Formats: sequence, C-alpha cells, structure tokens
Amino acid sequence: MTFDPEFALSILPRILSTITTTLFATIIGCMGAAALGFLWEIVRRSSKPGRYTMRFLIDFIRSTPLLVQIYFFYFVLPEYGLTLPGLVVGVLALSLYYSGYLAEVFKGGIDSIPAGQFEAAKALGLSRLQLIMFVIAPQMLRNVAAPMGNYFVSLLKATPYLAIIAVPEMLSVALEIASETFRYTEPMTVVGIIFLTLALCFSGLVKVIESRLRLSPKAG
Amino acid sequence: MSLFDIMASILVGINVTMKVTLYGMLYAVPFAFVFGVAQHFTNGIPRLIVTSIIEFWRSSPVIILIYGFYFSLPGLGINLSAMTVGAMVLGLNIGGYGSQAVRAALQALDPGQVEAGYALGFRRLRILYLIELPQALAAMTPTFINQFIQLVKGTSLVSLVTLADMTFLAKALSQIHYAPAKIYTALLIVYFLMCYPATIVGRMIERRVSRGREVSHDL
Repeated sequence: MTFDPEFALSILPRILSTITTTLFATIIGCMGAAALGFLWEIVRRSSKPGRYTMRFLIDFIRSTPLLVQIYFFYFVLPEYGLTLPGLVVGVLALSLYYSGYLAEVFKGGIDSIPAGQFEAAKALGLSRLQLIMFVIAPQMLRNVAAPMGNYFVSLLKATPYLAIIAVPEMLSVALEIASETFRYTEPMTVVGIIFLTLALCFSGLVKVIESRLRLSPKAG
Repeated sequence: MSLFDIMASILVGINVTMKVTLYGMLYAVPFAFVFGVAQHFTNGIPRLIVTSIIEFWRSSPVIILIYGFYFSLPGLGINLSAMTVGAMVLGLNIGGYGSQAVRAALQALDPGQVEAGYALGFRRLRILYLIELPQALAAMTPTFINQFIQLVKGTSLVSLVTLADMTFLAKALSQIHYAPAKIYTALLIVYFLMCYPATIVGRMIERRVSRGREVSHDL
C-alpha cells in the first residue's frame, strides 16, 4: 500500500470542514489561558498565602501531562454531576494547562517593568486595580509578546488532544476516515500538513507582531 | 480501593514511562546538538534543509506524529514497535526544541571567542567543542531541563498506541472500578512527584544563570 494522492485530495474537504472547531478551540483557549495566567500572577504577587498557593498551583499544572489533565476533567467532573460537552471540557483543560506557563511568562514581563513606573503610580495615587490595568498590563504585554505568542502556537498544536475526548475536530475526522477505509497514511499526512501549515503561519504572525512591537519607542 | 492501592497499581507502568523517556533522550540529545550546531554553521540552501527538518519535528503536533507513524508505517512496509515509534517521535520533537536552545546559546556568544580560537591556531571544529560548546552549555541547561519535563509528560501519549504506561494502566483501571476521581487524582499525583524535582532543579539553575538580575515588584 503506497501513498495515493487522489485519495488524499478526496478526503481533504471532509477534514478541513472541522477546521473551525480547531480555530475556535485555539482562540478561546488562548484567551482563557492568558486571563487565568494573568490572574494567577496577580494573586501570586498580592499576599504571602497567595504567593505559596499560586506557586504550588502553577507548578502542579506544569508538572502533570496535558493528556492526564484532559482525562481528569472529562471523567471526573460528571461524577460530581457536572456534565459538560467535550469541546467545553477540552478548551477548559487547554486554558488551565497553558495558564501555568503564561503565568511564568507574565512574571518575567512584570519584573522587567522599571521600578519607577510603580513609584509613579503610587505618587499619582492610583488604586491597585488602576495600577494593574493601566500601568502593568500594557507594559507587560509588550514585554511578553514573543514568548506568549510561542505558547499560543503550542496551544494550537495541542488542540488535536481534543480528539481523545470525542470532539469532532480535524484529527478525529482523520481517524474516523482511517477506520472506515483502513487507510491511515493519507488521512494522517493530510491532517499533519494542515496543522504544520497552521503552526508555521501562526509563528510567522507572532514574529511579525514581535518585530513591530520592538520598533515602536519603549516607555521607560 | 484506597488512593494508595490505586497508586500502587498505576506505578506498575512506571518502567514503560521511564523506558520511553530514556529512549526518547537517546533521540533528543544527539538531534538537538547535531541540528543546532548544523543550523549555526550553515547558510543558504543547506541551512534551509536543516531548518525544514527541525521545523517538521518541532512544529507538527506530537499526537498526530505518533498516530501517523504508528498506523501508517506498517502500510509502507516498515514495522516499528510502539515503543520505538513513541520514543522516536517524542525524542525528535523535544530534540527540535533543544536544537533551538543550542543554536541560540551558540549565537549569543561573543564573536571574539571564536576569533581568539583562530588566533590560537585552532581549527573550526576544535573551537566549537573546546571554546563555544562549553560556554554555551550553561545558557542551554534551563531549556534542556524544561524540555526533559516535557518529554516525561509527553510519554503519556504512548498510552494511545497500546503501550502499558502509567496513563494506560490508569485508564484500564477506571474501566474495571468506577472511581475516576480517585484514579485520575492518583495519576496526577504520580506524574507530579516524577516531574516536580526536575522543576525545582530547573528553577534553581535558572536563578543561578540569571543571578544578580532579578527584581520583583510586589503588589
């Protein structure tokens, strides 16, 4: 059995029809991961118990496999009466997993804001919320654009994990085709090429954004 | 079943997890050094080829590579065991990330180091392993440790291609005893205990490498 280009082309539309699920999971997952990661990092800085709790939470998230975390949410939540659709569970797990990494990225981003900014905010009498929203967040985002973008690309590449919990996305369609036709090479190659293309486009985009941010004058 | 019993039954699979990690390292470390150095040294078309190979392993989702290689290689007349496929795919993926750490560390060195090597009459390859690599090693260690953790965690994927690792055993167990909360909590704890020491060591080394530069703004 060799690679049959005609068969590969014939299954392309069926696999591509679920690309919206992949993109949806990626976009919502990225937003959730960034929001949670920022929250962890703010709590980590706010008090001593917060620091230790968040440090442990972040380390725990980072030290356990994404696959196991997905299984955990998918199989354990229903036991407590919370039955969510696979896509919701998957996006939740992706957000939580990457929030652990983004919290560390944000840590570096906040640490490299000059101390004068914090002093100036204090001198102006800004509240803590104003300090976070208007002083920290915008300057941090510029500092972390590149590493954050790389984790967003990783998140995109992790969306095929959703196939394991029966979410109809590109890998699960490819596996479905494979089990119908007993041909694995073509569906796997097609889905692999689609993801490779998506990942390379996304990381290209990240590089463009990163260089644009670097050109604009840096506040100090 | 108590949490302890469950952990004991899951730990039976630790030898598979460790085997895949170990074999994966045998792919990852050489790949990282050979391709990282090759990317550092080459230009033009050879560099494009090196970069393409790295990007293939680094930018493709591991889960698709594992399924793809495991199911489609036999059709092409190549029969590899699940262990080989798992270790190779995970190892080369991690090696792809590692190669970028190697290249970045080599490029970050002061060019004067290489010039000094030439001035001493060393050949290029001697400069590489006597002057450049030893200095670059410190800069790449934190990334290597992080990637090692990624490799250990990634081994859970071999459970999808029939290898009886810890994740596979936990899943099998949850089909016999309906206690997902306990079983998956136990599995999370086991992985955490395996990876956490590496996380701590990684953080310590990172702090040493960036000593004197840390600042922290408490809110």
